[in-house]
Amino acid sequence: MNGWILAATVALGAGAGATLWGVATGPLRRRVVAQNLSTALACLVLLLLAQGYDRPSYVDLALVLALLGPVGTLVFARLLADDLAEDPPRAWGPTYLVVGAGAAVVTALCVATGPSRASAKLLVVGALLIGGNVVASRALSGGFSGLRRG
Amino acid sequence: MTPRAAMRTTLRAAAEFLAWWTGLAVLWLILISAVGPLELAVGATVAALGALAARAARRAVTGR
Repeated sequence: MNGWILAATVALGAGAGATLWGVATGPLRRRVVAQNLSTALACLVLLLLAQGYDRPSYVDLALVLALLGPVGTLVFARLLADDLAEDPPRAWGPTYLVVGAGAAVVTALCVATGPSRASAKLLVVGALLIGGNVVASRALSGGFSGLRRG
Repeated sequence: MTPRAAMRTTLRAAAEFLAWWTGLAVLWLILISAVGPLELAVGATVAALGALAARAARRAVTGR
């Protein structure tokens, strides 16, 4: 048990519990946001565990999740577009909270790794995580509804 | 299209291909675990294929 694994455990316990509660209860607008945040949170936990177990190749799991998590949310945003248009989610607070946590974790991991290709990879994962979440949140809140073509 | 305009179009296409290729090759270099001659050759090849696809997709979206 080291600090990284402890941080991952705390993030998993508190964050996954909160997002699970959000996905399982409440109105649709809260469920989709919680689903989106749960993938970002799992990505962060995978990053922390890769560092905690000292297995840099485990970062690939976080990379895949950072890529596919927002894509999954975009599928929901598309399928539930009619329901979400009536009652659009407004959850920029939690989104920016997770984005800030992502930036903090990636920064800490980069400092621990030192300047190398591995830290560049971490930065790529962080950019995908943050950018993907902002885009997915914007899509959920109807930010792209006027964008039908091009 | 005048020869000058055709030349300009070709140059722009080449510059866009090169920009995509550079970005994709750098991404490949970052994501592989061990850098070697074979990895570099494969990376350069797939980055070229990806750059062609990226330019085609960009043109399909923007319609130019």
